[in-house]
Amino acid sequence: MGGIENHKYAFDSNIKTMLNKNTIIALLLITAGIVVFITASRDVSTYSTFADAAGGERTKIVGTLAKNKPMTYDPENDPNTFRFFMTDSKGTEKEVILQKPKPQDFELSEQIVVTGKMQNESFVADEILMKCPSKYKDEEIAIKEQQ
Amino acid sequence: MCTIAAVEAILVTMILGIHFEIGEKVIKIGSNPTLLLRHVNDAPIFANADYLSLIKGRGLNPLLQNYWMTIHPPTLFLGFASTVVPFAYAIAGLWYNDHKAWLRPAMGWSLFSAGILGTGILMGSFWAYEALSFGGYWAWDPVENASLVPWITLVAGIHTHLIAQNTGYAKKSLYFFYLISFILILYSTFLTRSGVLGDTSAHAFTEMGLEWQLVFLMAFFTFMGFGLWAYRFRSMDHPEKEESLYSREFWMFIGALVLMFSAVLITASTSLPVFNKIMDWFSPGYIGKVIQDPIPHYNKYQMWIGVFVAILSSKSLFLRYRNTDLQSIQKKLLKKFSIYTLVSLILTWFCSKWIELYSWQYYILCFSGLFAMIANTDYIISYLKGSLKAGASAIAHAGFGMMLVGILASGLNKTPISSNPFVFQGMFTKEDLARYVQLIRGKPLYSKGYFITYEGDTLVDRTRTYTIKFQKLNDSMEVIDEMTLHPNAVYSNDFTKVAAFNPDTRHYLDKDIFTCVVGLPPALQNIEEAKAIEDSLKFNTYTFQKGDTVALAKAKLIFEGVSYTPRHDEYLKNTHDSGIAFRLKVIPNDADTIYHIETALGIDGALLYKYPESIEDLGLRIQPDENLIRDFFTPDDQLEYEDITIKNFGSTTWQGYTFKLTGFNKDPEHKNYKNEENDIAIAAELSISDSEGHQFTVKPIYIIRENIPMSIKDYVAEEGLHIRFSNIDPGTETFTFKVAKDKRSFDTIKLAIAEDVPRTDYLILEASVFPGINLFWGGSILMMIGLFLAMWVRWYTGGVRPK
Repeated sequence: MGGIENHKYAFDSNIKTMLNKNTIIALLLITAGIVVFITASRDVSTYSTFADAAGGERTKIVGTLAKNKPMTYDPENDPNTFRFFMTDSKGTEKEVILQKPKPQDFELSEQIVVTGKMQNESFVADEILMKCPSKYKDEEIAIKEQQ
Repeated sequence: MCTIAAVEAILVTMILGIHFEIGEKVIKIGSNPTLLLRHVNDAPIFANADYLSLIKGRGLNPLLQNYWMTIHPPTLFLGFASTVVPFAYAIAGLWYNDHKAWLRPAMGWSLFSAGILGTGILMGSFWAYEALSFGGYWAWDPVENASLVPWITLVAGIHTHLIAQNTGYAKKSLYFFYLISFILILYSTFLTRSGVLGDTSAHAFTEMGLEWQLVFLMAFFTFMGFGLWAYRFRSMDHPEKEESLYSREFWMFIGALVLMFSAVLITASTSLPVFNKIMDWFSPGYIGKVIQDPIPHYNKYQMWIGVFVAILSSKSLFLRYRNTDLQSIQKKLLKKFSIYTLVSLILTWFCSKWIELYSWQYYILCFSGLFAMIANTDYIISYLKGSLKAGASAIAHAGFGMMLVGILASGLNKTPISSNPFVFQGMFTKEDLARYVQLIRGKPLYSKGYFITYEGDTLVDRTRTYTIKFQKLNDSMEVIDEMTLHPNAVYSNDFTKVAAFNPDTRHYLDKDIFTCVVGLPPALQNIEEAKAIEDSLKFNTYTFQKGDTVALAKAKLIFEGVSYTPRHDEYLKNTHDSGIAFRLKVIPNDADTIYHIETALGIDGALLYKYPESIEDLGLRIQPDENLIRDFFTPDDQLEYEDITIKNFGSTTWQGYTFKLTGFNKDPEHKNYKNEENDIAIAAELSISDSEGHQFTVKPIYIIRENIPMSIKDYVAEEGLHIRFSNIDPGTETFTFKVAKDKRSFDTIKLAIAEDVPRTDYLILEASVFPGINLFWGGSILMMIGLFLAMWVRWYTGGVRPK
C-alpha cells in the first residue's frame, strides 16, 4: 500500500515553485468560475409578462389558459401550430402560437410556461411546460364526493 | 494495521446503523411508510379493510408501465442509498482522526456506489429514450441533474481516494467529495420531493410535507460532516512535498477539480428555483429567475468539461504516482502522443464526414473523445498487455471518450425524417421545429430520403398499434431499405381518451430510427371531442330515386340501387336478422378516382343499427335516414300472415311464389333457439322460387315445448318474405305454414349527407434518426463496466495495480 514516507523530499528545492503552481491552479479556477458565472448569468432571465416581451426578445412567460377564448388546432392543415389564448401574471390576455402539436390534457393545465417571442400581436412559442393538478389529489376528492 | 482496519470497519457499520436510524426516525416524523391509506383518510369506504376491491382505479399512467420503469428506480435508489457507505467511512475517519486505515476497505464500496448509481441513471435515460415521447435520452431536467451531480462528485471522490491511497495527498478533498456526495444525494431528494421544482421540471412531484424534515436532515449532516472536516482540517497531514507536475496524482487531482467545477455549475443552474424561494423569503415579491433555454445552457459549459476530462483521463494514466521518471520514457511518450493526436485528427475528419460538427468547439470535443478512446485502448494493449483486470480505469476512460463521440453523433445530429413545410419561415433557427408531419392512411409521404406510409392500425385491449412503413430511397429513388415501426397509443382505462403515446425505435448498428405518434384526429383522441365533432356535423337530407344524381360541393353522387346483402365492413362484424344497403357511386369533381360505397341499416331483434360511410378525402359522411327501415321491413305484428298447407314433399303457390317442401331436420340449429330437454323441434326445408326463376331456401322451425307449440320464422330479405312453420297434422301428413310479405312501397330513399367532415384517417408523426447512438450507450456501459471491474478487483483480488 502507498505509504507516506516521503521524508527525503521534505527539503526539495522546488517547493517554492510547486506552491506557486497550486496558486496558479487556484487562480485559474477562480477566473474560469467568474467568467462562467458572468456568461451563464446571461442565460438567466425572469419570467416575464406579455408587456415585457413587447421588445421582441426571447422570453419565458408564465400564465394561465384563457378558457373562454377559442383554441385552434387544425392538424389536417398544419400539425405544427396550435393557437390558444393565455393570461399572464398581470392579467394581460394574448394569443399564443405554439409551434408544436396540441399537448395532451392541455385543458386541465393550471399553469403554463411558454418560451418564445412576440411577433406582431401574438406570442410565438416553441417550448411549453404545463403544470397539471395532481392526479392523486383529484382522486381523493373523487372518493370524498362518493360518500 | 489490519486490526485497526477491522475495528474501524465494525465502528463504521455501527455509525452506519445509527445514521440509518436517524434517517428513518426523521422520516418517520413526517410520514410513516407503514401507515395505510385507510388510517389516514377517515372515509366510510375505508371502514372495510378490503376496500381495494371496491375501487376500480384508472390504473398507473401508461408512461410508467414499462419494464425499464420497474427496474430503474430501485437501482437508482440502491445507488443513492449506497453513497452513505463512503460517507460513513469518511465520518469515521474524521471521528477517529485516522485518515488512512479506512481508505482500503472503503474503495470497493465507493466503486460499487458509483457503478450502481451510474447504471441507475443510464437506465433512466434509456427508459426516457425508449418509452417517452420527447425523443432523447437526456434533457438536463432538474431531476436528471439532481442524480447526475452526486455521481460526478462521487467519481471525483474516487479519484482523490486513489491519490490518497497511493500517495497520501488530497485527503482534504477526498473527505470533501465523499461528504458532499451524500449531502447532494439528500439535496437531490429534497429537490425532487419538495415540490420546489414545479415550474422547471417535467416531473410532476408534489409537495408532501416532508420538506422541513429533508432540510433538517441535510443541515444535520452538512454541519456534522463539515464540522468534523474543519475540526480535523489541520491534522490531515500530507507529504510535505507538493505533487510533481509529472505525477499521476497531480493530473488526477486536476481532473477531480474539473469534475467538481462541472458539479458546481450544474447544481447552481438547477438550484435556481431554490435560490428564488430563499430570495422570496428575504424580500417577498422577489421576481424569480429562470434559465431561458436550459439545454443549450448546460451543453455549452459541460462540453468543455468533457474535453478536459477526456484529455486528462488519457494522459494521466501514462504517468506514475509520485513522480514519473520522464527522462527514460519521454521519447516514447512523445511518440505515442503524436500518434494518438494524428490518428484522432484523422478520425475527427472522418467523423466530420459522417456527422455534421457545425462549429470548432464540436471539432475539439470530437477530437478529445476520440483521443481518449485511442489513448486508453492503446494503454490497455501496450502497457497492460491486454490485462483487462488491471485496465478498469482505462476501460472507463475509453468509455467516456466513446460516450462523448456518441453524444455528438446522436445529440447534435439527431435529424428529423419527418419534416414539414408549414413552419414559420425564418422565425426560428431551430430546424427541428418542423419535425411533426401529418400522415394520411395509405398515402406515402416523401421526406428526407424516406417514403413514410401509415399503413393501418389495430386495437387490442386499450392499445392502438400503428403500422408505419419507412422506405429508404437512394439518389435514383430506388428503395434500398425498408422497415416497419409500431408506435402505439394507449387509451385510459375508461376508454374516454388517449392516455399516452409510446414510441417505437428500430435499432441499427450505426443509428436508431425513432418514431412516435404525437397526435391523432381530435375525434380519436378524446371521447368528448368526438361527441362535439359529431354534434357539429350538419347533415342535409337528400331524396334519391334510383339513378338520380346529386351534385355536392366536391363531388357528384349517383344512387345505384338497394342491396339486401350489405358488404359494409362494420356491418359484417355484427350479426343481424336482416339488413339493407344503399349503393352509391361518388365522382369527385377534381380527381379521377371513382368511389363505390354503400351505407347500410341492420336489424337485430328490436335493435336498428346504422352504418354510415365516409369518404375521408372528400370530407363526406353519408348515412341512411332511420325511417327508411319501415319502407323495407314491416314489423312482425303488422304483417298479415296467410296460411298455406303443403303435403309431404309436395308444393303449393302463393302470390306468384312456388313453395316446395324438400325435407326436414329434426335437430335444427338457430341463433334464437336453445334446445331444452323434452323439446320437440323440427325444421322444415322449403325451396321458394319466384316467377323469374330466382331460388331461395328457408328453414322455419316448429317447436313443441311442454305441450305449447311455438315457431321460429325464416326470412327472405330480397323478397321480404316471412315464413313461419305453424302446424303439423300427423294424420294427413299435412304441414301448415304462415306466410307474409313486407309492404315495400317506396319510390324514393332519403340519405343524410354531411360535408366538410374532419378526417379521422391520419396521425401526426415525429420520426428522427439518431446516428451513432450506440456509441453513447456503449461508451456509458463501458464506464460502468470499468467501475464494476475496479470494484471486483478491490474486493476479490486484493488489489492489482499496473507497474
